[in-house]
Amino acid sequence: MINYKRFSLENGLRVLVHEDKSTPLIAMNILYDVGSRDEDPAMTGLAHLFEHLMFGGSLNVPDYDTPLQLAGGENNAFTNNDITNYYLTVPSENIETAFWLESDRMLELDFSQKNLDTQRNVVIQEFNQRYINQPYGDAILKLRPLAYKVHPYRWPTIGMDMDHIRNTDLETVRSFFFSHYAPNNAILVLTGNIGYDLAFELTQKWFGPIEKRIIQPRNLPEEPGQIQERILTIESDVPSTALYKVWHIGPRKSKDFYTLDLITDLLAGGESGRLHTKLVRGKKLFSEINAYLTADIDPGLIILQGKLMKGVDIHKAEESVNEVINGLNGKSEIRDEMEKVKNKFESSTVFSNTSILNKAANLSFFELLGNPGSINDEVESYRKVSYEMVIEAVRRYFVPSNCSTINYLSGRKEK
Amino acid sequence: MNNLQRFQPPVFPVDKVVIPEAKSFRLNNGVPVYMIEAGTEDIMRIEFIFKAGQVKESLPLLASTCNMMLSEGSQNYSSEELNRSLDYYGIFLNQSAERDNAGIVLFSLNKHIDKVLELSREILFRPVFPEPELNSLMKKRLRWYLVNREKVQNLAIEQFFESLFGMKHPYGYQIIEQDFENITTSFLSDFHSKYYTAENMAVIISGKIHNKTAELLNVYFGNLVSSKITNEDSAYFLNGQMQKKVHINKSGTVQSAIRIGSATITKRHPDYTGLKIVDSILGGYFGSRLMKNIREEKGFTYGISSSLSSLDLAGYKVISTEVDQKNCQNAIDEIYKEIRLLQSIPVEKEEMAVVRNNMSGEMVRMFDGPFALAESFRSAWEFGLDNSYYYRLAEKIKTVESDEIIELAKTYYNIDDLYEITVRSE
Repeated sequence: MINYKRFSLENGLRVLVHEDKSTPLIAMNILYDVGSRDEDPAMTGLAHLFEHLMFGGSLNVPDYDTPLQLAGGENNAFTNNDITNYYLTVPSENIETAFWLESDRMLELDFSQKNLDTQRNVVIQEFNQRYINQPYGDAILKLRPLAYKVHPYRWPTIGMDMDHIRNTDLETVRSFFFSHYAPNNAILVLTGNIGYDLAFELTQKWFGPIEKRIIQPRNLPEEPGQIQERILTIESDVPSTALYKVWHIGPRKSKDFYTLDLITDLLAGGESGRLHTKLVRGKKLFSEINAYLTADIDPGLIILQGKLMKGVDIHKAEESVNEVINGLNGKSEIRDEMEKVKNKFESSTVFSNTSILNKAANLSFFELLGNPGSINDEVESYRKVSYEMVIEAVRRYFVPSNCSTINYLSGRKEK
Repeated sequence: MNNLQRFQPPVFPVDKVVIPEAKSFRLNNGVPVYMIEAGTEDIMRIEFIFKAGQVKESLPLLASTCNMMLSEGSQNYSSEELNRSLDYYGIFLNQSAERDNAGIVLFSLNKHIDKVLELSREILFRPVFPEPELNSLMKKRLRWYLVNREKVQNLAIEQFFESLFGMKHPYGYQIIEQDFENITTSFLSDFHSKYYTAENMAVIISGKIHNKTAELLNVYFGNLVSSKITNEDSAYFLNGQMQKKVHINKSGTVQSAIRIGSATITKRHPDYTGLKIVDSILGGYFGSRLMKNIREEKGFTYGISSSLSSLDLAGYKVISTEVDQKNCQNAIDEIYKEIRLLQSIPVEKEEMAVVRNNMSGEMVRMFDGPFALAESFRSAWEFGLDNSYYYRLAEKIKTVESDEIIELAKTYYNIDDLYEITVRSE
């Protein structure tokens, strides 16, 4: 059970505090309700580029990292389709440094051309390192526009075209900041060795004076229902052929979310998952195979990806994947497996909540979804999934007309 | 309140490192056990360590394959039953074979401790190494290997170890495709019976420790006796290669991988704690000189770092980065420039304060919670060291002066001794 207290400032900043005296550290997590889905299609990758710029100094702080290091702290951040999340841990005695740093960059960033030029290059190097210079690295870049035709999830967080990054100017960056970075568009969570009173006092002191900003309500185009199977075949200089399949699912808050989560665990949860047992160990068609949900706030995807063993025909491999999915209706067998994945979900939840950083990130995300208390209901929501719900969801979601496939063929001659 | 002056709040020194001591005892058969009580949840992490790493193997892949095959079927469980049982009880199993040691780590809720110990005993002491599972594993591993050989960073680091430690020593040799065909079940059984023995084992438990934990350990592991087989050390010595600069051509790559470094002292050496600080200044944290210069100033790379590591027979330090092809030589020049600066110009007080405090903060994190504590304990224990190593490190962080940094940089970062490995497209 994770206990927390919650309050809001007049400027709209929402704050949650969870005290854990067993650690000498405090974790601070600030979630900004802005992700790559909020970008202009002609200027993608901006939310993520912005995350980089956030370390380049702010109004009263020439450099974010040095004072935090001086305080014995450690920080990082990530951006995804939905949110930009900044987090740090610091020995409790130096928590005020964290308040000073984080409130200052919420107040106003130091928009310098030099910082923008450098971080543009860094992001382009990140793009090359993650997506271009890795075997199969571009598969995910090709999957998104195949599955989404309209919704902004069609481009990746890093951006659909590095020219968008190259062309960003200071004015674009400035206006992005003031339209998305604001106390009334953020959630602050403190976990670890900090009591509510101190948290309240410091939040008032440092974040209280920041003015509310005008945030335009989000109005994103809805992805129309897919009506026909989509298949893309590409050939690349990789050692093994790979298969990627995605199916559309509902939003994070839809009632099927935990059912689908459980289904992907039945399929791919660990060594005893069905795909692994039947297709890697049994038929030896794949060298590795995995499946998971994207857990996006707007309607997301189930992603399945596998690499084929040498000489295996991709259509045979795909057929076998479909057989395993459709085989999820064998009643007696599946009940045992459901109990297994439920136990495993419970234990991984307990393990994840041993970390103050995980607790802070999870509390922030559930607050964004509308109910931070759900952090304590996850195991129960997952346990409530019934056999009937599984069967119904398999029938509803795993149909060809809801699926996009990439046949990623190895163009290399086998020795 | 609206007139808040946004001045930097005072920073308090983080210099009180408190490390809970592990309680140690021996099982009836002499196996050492270390118990570290920590955390708020009723969970455990248990690690079984054997001197069964690559350094003991007589042919490439033997140590790692033996370790991976431990969970592929035992006297009482098929691989499928083992995996299903672990998953059913929500137990997480990690297997690993490193350069010197090998073993398994399990994470579990304490209520399943009996199951954890029973399954661990099956995995560690009753594996049967079935042939079909071995064949299938080797075919899979070959596919993983082929994919990994596509990555410039892997090509670079493997060449780096070969250059440092030699083509014949298990620390240095590179895997080739042929190696995947040489492992047989009898090699595995033989390796297992020599090295996965009670007298070669130690146990580290952390988390909430219950009264009956010690007793249960004795029930499952206290009666095992070791057959008297002499362990063999590698027939080869560490042997750094003559050629300091090695360039590997990888066509079509858009980024070059760079690895620069050399063999060095281990954790057992009195200079090691000081060298840790030199490494940190150079490339050991986000605000390090290499990061500031090559990422934050020049934008050549997404990341660059240096690290200092210890193996039983040698330590090594390595600077790692992937950079834009056209800036490869520039990045290399800048790396050497930064090393020369460390050897000649005293570190300024301000930078020294950042490094000291950052490392002190890191030390707090190293001992925060049951998992971090166990890992920190292990990485001193492996070298025959105890917490006094960490207290020495903490003291050195507090007291090191800039002239000592210069001396250490001169002694241990002699540029002529450094290997330089690059992977790029010509």
